[in-house]
Amino acid sequence: MRYLTRPLLVRFLGLSSRCVSVGLSQTKTLMLSPKQLSLRQSFSTRAGLVTAVDVVKYWQKVFETNGIPEAQESSEYIVSFVLGAKTLQSLNSKILCAPLTAVQQERIRQLSTKRLQRMPVQYVLGEWDFQDLTLKMRPPVFIPRPETEDLVSLVVEEGSQKCEEKNSGLLYPAAAPHPVILEIGCGSGAIALSLLCKLPQSRVIAVDKEKAAVDLTRENAQRLQLQDRIHILHHDVSSSSAKQLLPWGPVDFIVSNPPYVFYEDMAFLAPEIFRYEDLNALDGGDDGMKVIRTILALAPSLLKDSGSVFLEVDPRHPEMVENWLQTHPNWLLTLCAIHKDFCGKPRFLHIQKQSR
Amino acid sequence: MRRRPRRDEGCFLRRPLGVFPRKRYPQFCMNAPSLFHFTFLLKEISTASWRPWMLRKQQFSLTRLPLFQAAGKKNSSNLLALNEADLKEQFVRGDGPGGQATNKTSNCVVLKHIPTGIVIKCHQTRSVEQNRKIAREILQEKVDLFYKGEDSDVFKEKKAAEKKKQEKKRRARENLERKKHFKEMQESDGK
Repeated sequence: MRYLTRPLLVRFLGLSSRCVSVGLSQTKTLMLSPKQLSLRQSFSTRAGLVTAVDVVKYWQKVFETNGIPEAQESSEYIVSFVLGAKTLQSLNSKILCAPLTAVQQERIRQLSTKRLQRMPVQYVLGEWDFQDLTLKMRPPVFIPRPETEDLVSLVVEEGSQKCEEKNSGLLYPAAAPHPVILEIGCGSGAIALSLLCKLPQSRVIAVDKEKAAVDLTRENAQRLQLQDRIHILHHDVSSSSAKQLLPWGPVDFIVSNPPYVFYEDMAFLAPEIFRYEDLNALDGGDDGMKVIRTILALAPSLLKDSGSVFLEVDPRHPEMVENWLQTHPNWLLTLCAIHKDFCGKPRFLHIQKQSR
Repeated sequence: MRRRPRRDEGCFLRRPLGVFPRKRYPQFCMNAPSLFHFTFLLKEISTASWRPWMLRKQQFSLTRLPLFQAAGKKNSSNLLALNEADLKEQFVRGDGPGGQATNKTSNCVVLKHIPTGIVIKCHQTRSVEQNRKIAREILQEKVDLFYKGEDSDVFKEKKAAEKKKQEKKRRARENLERKKHFKEMQESDGK
């Protein structure tokens, strides 16, 4: 059985036929399951040089045979990573045609074996991208989702606008204000560190109740040389004391991607999630609102006047949050905007504290 | 930079533009050089102070929106502005709940420019946001090339680069010839 025909591969890559090579090197013995072994035998028609594309196709087939979702994407990310790139598309055809070394092939095999255990790709590679940052990833710290990139953009927009408002109409504009941002549930530090990069005058207090998350955020902050502008605290916001969240006084923004999955939905999480990620970072209680309520209750005492809370939530939450706020008029919090994510689902809430 | 709603004037496309509802504006203002910056329209649910935001479009839905201007990598505002209403964006995200409940890594963005039919598939990075930005940059260049042909800055830069490359090759060839000739001369002198 010929796994991938030459014309198909050539067309796929738009390469000259000289670059296409066939077969896998027979030099290594791999610990493969019977399914993988039979695939390997059928794939190798003769010993020869192995290119990146060959290996991608091979592992894609292995993943598909073993029921691993996103087989092609997983294979591409792993091979690109070993070749020092982010994605296959970003590699030039010269590298794609070049034979892989035995060391590279072995590294790919090691990583792919982890993927065969349903480990998320982000944990397999130990890193992932969030906007223009590359962050270290480590189980069980929650992996940032692509939707959350939009949350950061929202806060940056609000932060920049506040700067304009403060400076507009002034004869001698004041120096750019230094927004203080509190992130509740920082995880790997994706939101906090992105904000620090995009708002160069800002400072962030990042809080998480899990030590592993605090450690990972600290590591990522140091890698990005942002440790001087961020306070990282190991603290559970549902405990009574909130004083330690205010080393720089009341904050301009509270940002959070709190656990918001409904309890009944936890049973439907993919193995990648429930086997490897911290489920406390996902479980929002019966109605997914447990942590959201805690944050909103704390917000009035933490925010400056006209300060804002930005939350990522489940699409069912906007109405629930609005009702919840209406039952607590003394908080002076108003839901002033609902923003959709890139799939068109209501995902982000902008809540503002009214000035007295 | 102060954000303002962008209007129809300044559009260089030859195709007629539609009428755009006033409530919704795409805000593509220059952020870092040669990068786009997305902002969002507010969906008003209270009479709190109004700020223009843009709701992110759903897959395949087209909200008619005014133009934006962006400086491309060609370092000029000469590139034709892209009309967001002419773009159709596709993400490989699936129909699931999204958000925390899923962990999909397919971050490829497929961006189509409907009037010309040009399609860009961008998977340069592992970030959806970055892929969207890069896709728009590439598409803007291709659309500019499509409408302007040889007048396009994209075309001119490409030609200039090619010329430079040819020149370099020619000089290298001449150098080699000269060295060869010199060596031959030396050898004949030595005899």
